[in-house]
Amino acid sequence: MPVNFAPAGVEYLRFLPEIILIAAGTLLMVLDVILRERFRNAYGHISIAALLAAMAASVMAYSSPGPAFSDMLLVDGFATFFRVLVIGVGILTVLPSYRFLRREGAETGEYHALLLFSIAGQCVMVSANELIMIFIGLEISSISSYVLAGYLRDDKRANEAALKYFLLGSFATAFFLYGVAIVYGLTGSTYLNAIRTVLSGGPTAPGPVFIGVAAALMFVGLGFKVSAAPFQIWAPDVYQGAPTPVSAFLTTGPKAAAFAVFLRIFMTAFQPIGGDWAPLVWGSALLSMTIGNFAALTQSNIKRLLGYSSIAHAGYLLVALAARSQVGAAAAMFYLAAYALMNIGAFAVVSHLSGKGERFLSVDDFAGLGVKQPGTAALLTIFLLSLIGVPLTGGFFGKFYIFKAALDSHLVWLTVLGLLNSAVAAYYYLRILVVMYMHEPSEATAELEPLSAGLRAALVIPALGTLFLGIFPAWVLDFAGKSSALVK
Amino acid sequence: MNPLDLVLAVPLVGFLGLLFVPRAAEGAIRTVALIFSLVAFLASLGLALGYHTDFAGEQWFTDVTWIASPNIHYHVGLDGLSLWLVILTTFLTPVCILISWNSIQSRVKEFFALMLLLEFGLAGVFAAQDLFLFYVFWEVSLVPMYFLIGIWGHDRRIYAALKFFLYTFAASVLMLTAIIYVYNRAGTFNYSDILAMLASGKVSFTGTEQLALFLAFFVAFAVKVPLFPLHTWLPDAHVEAPTAGSVMLASVMLKMGTYGLARFCLPMFPGAARLCAPWIVVLAIIGIIYGALVAMVQPNMKKLVAYSSVSHLGFVVLGIFSFTQLGMDGAVYQMLNHGISTGALFVLVGFLYDRRHSLAIADFGGVATPAPWLSTVFMITMLASIGLPTLNNFIGEYLVLQGSAQANFHWTIFAAIGVILSACYMLWLYQRVFFGETPDEVRDHVFDLKPREWAVAVPLVAMMVWMGMYSQSFLPVVSKTTAHILDQTQVNVQFRVRADICPTSLPSVQQAGGAGASACQPMLSNLLNVQSPNRAATVRERSPEVAHAR
Amino acid sequence: MQLWLIPVFPLAGFLLNGIFGRRFSKAIINSIAIGSVLLSFAWVLKTLLALGELNAPHAEHYFTWIQSGTFSVGFDFAVDRLTAVMLLVVTGIGSLIHIYAIGYMAHEEGYYRFFAYMNLFMFFMLTLVLGANYLVLFVGWEGVGLCSYLLIGFYFTKKFATDAGNKAFIVNRIGDFGFSLAMFLIVVNFGSLDFSTVFQAVPGKSEAALTAIAFLLLLGACGKSAQLPLYVWLPDAMAGPTPVSALIHAATMVTAGVYMVARSSAIYTHAPAAMEAVAIIGLLTAFFAATIGVLQNDIKKVFAYSTVSQLGYMFLGAGVGAFSAGIYHLVTHAFFKALLFLGAGSLIHALGGEQDVRNMGGLRSKIPWTFATMVCAGVAIAGVPPFAGFYSKDAILLAADRHAPWMYWVGVITAGMTAFYVFRAIFLAFFGRYRGEAHPHESPWVMLGPLVVLAALSLAGGKLFNVPEFLAPLFPLAEEGHDIGPMLVSVAFGLGGIALAYLFYVARPGLPDALAASFSGLYKLVYNKYFVDEIYAAVVVDPVVSGSREVLWKGMDVAVIDGAVNGVGNRSQRLGGLLKRLQSGSIRSYAVWVLLGSVLLLLAMGVAGGLR
Repeated sequence: MPVNFAPAGVEYLRFLPEIILIAAGTLLMVLDVILRERFRNAYGHISIAALLAAMAASVMAYSSPGPAFSDMLLVDGFATFFRVLVIGVGILTVLPSYRFLRREGAETGEYHALLLFSIAGQCVMVSANELIMIFIGLEISSISSYVLAGYLRDDKRANEAALKYFLLGSFATAFFLYGVAIVYGLTGSTYLNAIRTVLSGGPTAPGPVFIGVAAALMFVGLGFKVSAAPFQIWAPDVYQGAPTPVSAFLTTGPKAAAFAVFLRIFMTAFQPIGGDWAPLVWGSALLSMTIGNFAALTQSNIKRLLGYSSIAHAGYLLVALAARSQVGAAAAMFYLAAYALMNIGAFAVVSHLSGKGERFLSVDDFAGLGVKQPGTAALLTIFLLSLIGVPLTGGFFGKFYIFKAALDSHLVWLTVLGLLNSAVAAYYYLRILVVMYMHEPSEATAELEPLSAGLRAALVIPALGTLFLGIFPAWVLDFAGKSSALVK
Repeated sequence: MNPLDLVLAVPLVGFLGLLFVPRAAEGAIRTVALIFSLVAFLASLGLALGYHTDFAGEQWFTDVTWIASPNIHYHVGLDGLSLWLVILTTFLTPVCILISWNSIQSRVKEFFALMLLLEFGLAGVFAAQDLFLFYVFWEVSLVPMYFLIGIWGHDRRIYAALKFFLYTFAASVLMLTAIIYVYNRAGTFNYSDILAMLASGKVSFTGTEQLALFLAFFVAFAVKVPLFPLHTWLPDAHVEAPTAGSVMLASVMLKMGTYGLARFCLPMFPGAARLCAPWIVVLAIIGIIYGALVAMVQPNMKKLVAYSSVSHLGFVVLGIFSFTQLGMDGAVYQMLNHGISTGALFVLVGFLYDRRHSLAIADFGGVATPAPWLSTVFMITMLASIGLPTLNNFIGEYLVLQGSAQANFHWTIFAAIGVILSACYMLWLYQRVFFGETPDEVRDHVFDLKPREWAVAVPLVAMMVWMGMYSQSFLPVVSKTTAHILDQTQVNVQFRVRADICPTSLPSVQQAGGAGASACQPMLSNLLNVQSPNRAATVRERSPEVAHAR
Repeated sequence: MQLWLIPVFPLAGFLLNGIFGRRFSKAIINSIAIGSVLLSFAWVLKTLLALGELNAPHAEHYFTWIQSGTFSVGFDFAVDRLTAVMLLVVTGIGSLIHIYAIGYMAHEEGYYRFFAYMNLFMFFMLTLVLGANYLVLFVGWEGVGLCSYLLIGFYFTKKFATDAGNKAFIVNRIGDFGFSLAMFLIVVNFGSLDFSTVFQAVPGKSEAALTAIAFLLLLGACGKSAQLPLYVWLPDAMAGPTPVSALIHAATMVTAGVYMVARSSAIYTHAPAAMEAVAIIGLLTAFFAATIGVLQNDIKKVFAYSTVSQLGYMFLGAGVGAFSAGIYHLVTHAFFKALLFLGAGSLIHALGGEQDVRNMGGLRSKIPWTFATMVCAGVAIAGVPPFAGFYSKDAILLAADRHAPWMYWVGVITAGMTAFYVFRAIFLAFFGRYRGEAHPHESPWVMLGPLVVLAALSLAGGKLFNVPEFLAPLFPLAEEGHDIGPMLVSVAFGLGGIALAYLFYVARPGLPDALAASFSGLYKLVYNKYFVDEIYAAVVVDPVVSGSREVLWKGMDVAVIDGAVNGVGNRSQRLGGLLKRLQSGSIRSYAVWVLLGSVLLLLAMGVAGGLR
C-alpha cells in the first residue's frame, strides 16, 4: 500500500460527513456549559442541522467516489447508502427526543453530542476499507452507545442496561480485535482487498484452520453487535432498559452499520473461504429467527417484545448474508433501510405512549388507541403490518428480496423455515393490533396527550418511507443493486 | 381507461376518499361507500357486456411494469374463470354495504372504508395475471377481513380473527416460497409467459420439484377453500364475523382458494395435480359428507351455514379435480352459485339477528307467522342451496357430479350422498326457525322485510332463478376457458410428467382409476374433448387487439 | 303447438295468488286458481285433438338449459300417447279436486297459500309428464316433491305436520339420489338424456350398465311412489289437507314413479333382473301395505296404506311386462282413490274434523251423497265387475299369472284384503249407530259435484277408457288368450272380502275384538305397522344424528383438529417461555453464554477448515 502523507482535498471531502458530525458534537458539549435553560431546544435544532448537513455531505462525497487517506476509507455506493441510512436514523432519533427529554427533564447537549459521535463512528465503520479503521469506527460508535443506553442516570433499569451493554460489548469487541490480529498475522495486511487476494492466492494461502478461527472471532464480535444468536443474549435487557428513543436508535443505527461491516468483511476479505463460514451464518440465522420470534410470543413488555423481534430480524438479515451473493447483499441493504424505518416508527409510538418515567410499556397499555388517537393507531398499524411482512409495505419487499436471494442460492430449507418463522411472528404483532383496536381504552390511552410536532414528523416520515419502499421499491433497490458489488 | 382498471381503482379511491370524510358524518360515509361500490358494479357490468365470448384467452388486460428488477408487472386481465368472480365481488359489495347500513353503529368510517378495501383486494386477486401481483392482492384482502371480524364481530371475535389470519398467512407463505421458486426458474412472474414456457418445455420441473411446488400452492388454497381437515377456522370466523363479513367471506373469499386451484395448480403442475387428484378428491368427498353431517347438529344458525359451505365447496374441488369439462364448468358455476345462495343465507340470517339479536336456533320458532315474506325469501334461498332444479345450485351440482361420474363413478356415489344430507340439515333448520307456534319474544321482535332489505333480497332471488333457469348467459364463457385449462393440463403432461411423475407402477394412481391414472392415458384426451394444444399460445397473441378493439 | 302453455297456466296462477293473494278476495283467488287449471285442461284437450292419432311423439324445443363441452340438455317437451293419458288424468282430476277444495278449504287460514301451492304442484306435475328428457322430468320430479312438502306442512304451526313434510322430502331425496345416479350413468353410457336418443341406443348397450341404470331408477321410483322400503313417508303425509291427499298422494304425484318406469320401459325390457325386482317390490308392497290397512282406524290412514298397496299393483304390472296394465290401473286408481279421499274429506268435513272410524257410524242416512259415492269407489277398488277397478286389476293379475303364478296368488289375496279394509271403513262409518257427538251435515254442492263426477268415472271409467288399447303402439298387448278362470277367482276374493267385512262390522260386531284377543301378538305387530318407523329411527336416524354431534363435531372437529391447531399455539408459547428463562438477567451468565457460543463457533470453523 503506497502511503502518501499529504491527503488531497477531495479526500477531505470524502471524509466531510464525519468531520461535520464530530465538529457539531464538540460544539454541543461546549454549549452545554454556557447555554441557559430556556434555549434547551437549540440542542436538538443544532444536531438536526448537523445531521442534515452531514447527509448532504455524504451525498456530495458520492459525487466523487473513491478512496481516502491512503485507502483506509472507501467512499463508494455501499458506503454512501449506509451513511445516508445511519444519518437518517439519527434524524429520526432526534425528532422524538425533544418531547422525551423534556418529559424526563434531561435536556442536555451531551445527549445529542453522544448521538452525533456514535453516528460519526458508524459512518466511519461503513466507509472503512481496512480492519483497524473498522475497529476504530466500531469503538467510537459503541462507546457512545454504551453511555447513551445509561443516559438517564437515576433510572435503575437504564443503568443496568448500560452496564451489561458495556461489559458484554467490550467483551465481544475484544474477540473482534483478536480476529483482526490473527488475520494480520496470517496475511500481513489489514486491507480487505489485500486479505482477499492472499486468501484466494492458491499455495501461498495460509492454513485454513487459523483463518477460519480468525473469521469466527470476527463473527463473534459482529454477531454481538447485530444481536445475532447465540450472541443475542444481551439485547432484550438493553433494549428494554435503555430510554425509548435510544432503544430505537440502538436497534437500527449501530445494527445497520455493523451489518454493513459484516457484509464488507465477509463478502470481500473472507469471500474466498465462504464455503467455511456459510454454515455458521446459516445456523446463526435460523437460531436468531427462531429464538427471537418464539421468545417474543410471550412478552408483555412492548420494548422487550420489539427487542426480541429485532433479534428475529437480524436472523432474516443473516439469511441474506448466507446467500453469499450480490443479490443477497442488495437485499440486506434494502431490508436494513426498511427495518430502520418501521422499527423507529414503532418505537416512536411507544415513547409517545409510555408517558413520564416510561410507566406504560405493557402491550395492554395500547388498549383503545384505535379509538383515542386513530391517526397514531393507523401509523402504528402500518409499521406493524410492515414488520409482519404484509404486501405494499417495505417490510414485505425486504423479506421477499432476502428469501428470493436465498432461493437463488438454493437455500430452500432456510427459506421455508424463515417464512414459517415470519408467520409465527405475525402472531405477536397482531396481538398489538388486537389490543389497539379491539380492547376498551386503558389508563395509558385515556390520558394521552396529542402528538408533538417532532413526534408527528418522527411517525409520518417513517410511515411514508415504509409505504414508499412497499409500493415503489425499485428506486432504493436499484441503488442497492448497483452498489452491492463489493468485490472491486 | 379499461373498465377492469376502473373496477379496481374505484374501490381503492373510495377507500382513500373515505379516510378524509369526517368520522362524525356517518350518513355521508355510508352514502359515499354505497355510491363507490355501485359505480364499481356498473363498471364491472361493462366487463361482461364487452367480453369476447368467442375465445378463451385473457381479455381487458392492462400490463405495465411495476418494478423493473425483479421483473414485476401490474398485469391484470380477465378470462372465463375470473370474469364472473370479479362481477360477483362487485355485485355483493353494495349488498353488504346495504345490510350493514344500520347494523353497524360503531366506528362507521373504518367499517365502510375497509369494505371498499376488501372489494379492491378480492377483485384484484381474481384479476391478477402476474404471480407476484396475485400474492400481493391475496395478502391485501386478508387484512381488512381480519379487522372486520376482529372489531365488529361477536363475543369470541378476537380468537376467530387471529385464527383466520394466522391459518391463512401461514399457508400463504408456503405459496410465496413456491412463487419465488418458479420465478427463479422462469425469470418472470407473468403467468401466461410462464405457462407458455412450460408448454414449450423451455422451463420444466422434475417430478419432485413439481410435486413440492404443487403442494406449496395447494396447501395455501386448501386452507382458503377450506378443504377438510383445514377447515376449522371457517366456523369460528363465520360465527364471529358481522353479517357483511360473513357474506364476503363465504361468497367471495372462499372462492379465492378454488379459483387458485383451477387457475394455478392445474395448468402449472398438471402431473402433480393428476397424481394427487385421487387423494384430494377423497378429502373433498369427506368434506362434502362431513360438513353436511356436522352442519346438521349445529345449534347456531351461522355455524350451520358455515359448515354447509364446507360441504358445498367440497363439490367445487371434486369438480376441478375430476379433470373433465363438465366437472370444471360445474365447479366454476358452483363457485358463483354458492356465492349467491350462501351469501343470501348469511344475509337472511343477519336479518334475523338484527331482529332477535341471537343466532341460536333455539331462540326462534314460528317466524313464518309474523314475517311471511322473510320466510318466503329464506325458503327460496334454502331450496336454491339444497339444489332444487330451476334454481342455481342444481346446475352446478349436476355438472360437477356428472363430470365426476365420467372420471370415476365411485366418487359420484359418495358425493351424491351430500345432496341428501343437505336437505336434512336445511329443512330441519327451516322447520325449527320458521315453523311451529310463535313464542312471544319472537312475535314481539320479529317483523317482516323493510324496503332496504327488499332491495337486497330481490336481486339475490332474481339471480338464483336466472342462473338456475338460463345458465346459457354464464356458462359458455366459462366453458371456453375451462376447456383451455384442460388443454394446458394435457399439453404440459405430454412434456414431462409421463417421464418422471406418472410411472404406471404407482398403485395409488392405478386403483384410483379415473383422473389419477388417466394422466398417462391418451384415451383421456377424447374424454376431455381436447382442442389444438397450441391454443395456449395463440390466445396470448390474439388478446392485445381485442383489448385495443375497445 | 305451444305445449309450454299447459304448465304455464297454473304457474301464472301460482305467481298471481302467491304474490298478491293476501290482498285478493276469495272469489278472485278461486277464479285464478281454478281458472288456470281449467285453462290448461282445455289446452290439453285442444292440443290432443289437434295432434290427432299421435302415433309418433310430438316434441318441442324451447331453449338450451345446460351446455358444457359437447354435452347439452334442452328444455324440451314432448307428447306421446303415454303423456296424453297422464295429461288428461292430471288436469282432469286436478280440476275436479281444485273445485272440491273451494268448499273444503272455505274456512281455513292461508286460503290463498293453499291454492298457490296447488297450482304450483300442477305446474311441476305437468312439467314432469311433458318433459322430453330425464332432466326436465327430474325438474318436475323434484318440484312435485317440493309442493308435496309444502302442502303436507300446510298447517305449519303443527309440529306433526312439518315433521311429516320433512320426512316426505328427505325420503324422496333418498329416492332422487338413485334417480340422479341413474342419470349420470345414462350420460356416461349414452352421452345424452333425451328419451328419443337414449331409447334408440338401448339395444346396443351392455346389460350390466342397463341393469345398473334400471335399478337406480327403481330406487327413485320407490321413493316417489312409496314402495318398500321407502313407503314410510306416505302415511304420515296425510297430515296435509284432504284435497292434497286426494290429488298428490293418491291420484297424481305418487304415480309418477310408475309413469317413469313405464317411460323407461325400453331400458327395463333390456334389464330383466331389474324387471323382476320391480315386480317383486311391487307385489310385496301391495301385500304388506294391505295387511297394515286392515287394522287402521284413522280413515285417511286406511286409504293411505291402500294407496301404497295399489301402487304396488301398478309396479307389479310394470314389472311383469304389462306396462299398459300398470298405467291402466294408474288411471282407474286415480278415479276411485281420489273419490275415496274426497269422500273421506266430506265425511271429516261433516263431522267437524273427526277422522277415527271408531267414532263414526250410522251416517248413511245423514250424508247420503257422500255415502253413495264412497260405495261406488268401494266397489270399484274391490274389483267388482264391471266397475273401473275390475278391468285394470284384472289385466295386471292376468299378466302376473302368465309371468309367475305365485305372484298371481299373492295378488289375489291382496285384492281380497283390499276389498275387506275398504268396506270395513265404509261399514264402520256408515252403518250401525252413530258413536260420535258432532252434528253431521251434508257437504255443499261444490264438494259433492266432483264426488258425483268421480263416482261416475269409478263405475264406468274402466270400460269407457280402454287404456291398454290406446297405448298399444307403445306397449304391444299380450296375445288375447283371455281365460276366464283367474278372473273369476280374483272377483270371488274381492266379493269375499266385502262379505267378510259385512260379517265383522255389521252382522257380528263382536267378532273382530275376539279375534284380536286370540291373535294378540300378531295383532299388536300389525296394528303398530310392524314398528317400521321405530326401527328406522333407531337404526338410521338416531345413530347418524348423535354420531355427527358427539363423534364428528365434538370429537373430530373440536377436540382433534382444533385441539391440534391450538396445541401448536400453546407449544410455541411454552417454547417461548423456556427461551425467556435463558434471560436470567445476571451478567455473569450472559458472559458465559457468549463464551460458549464463541467456543462453539471457533470449533466449528476450525473443523470446517480442517476438513478442507
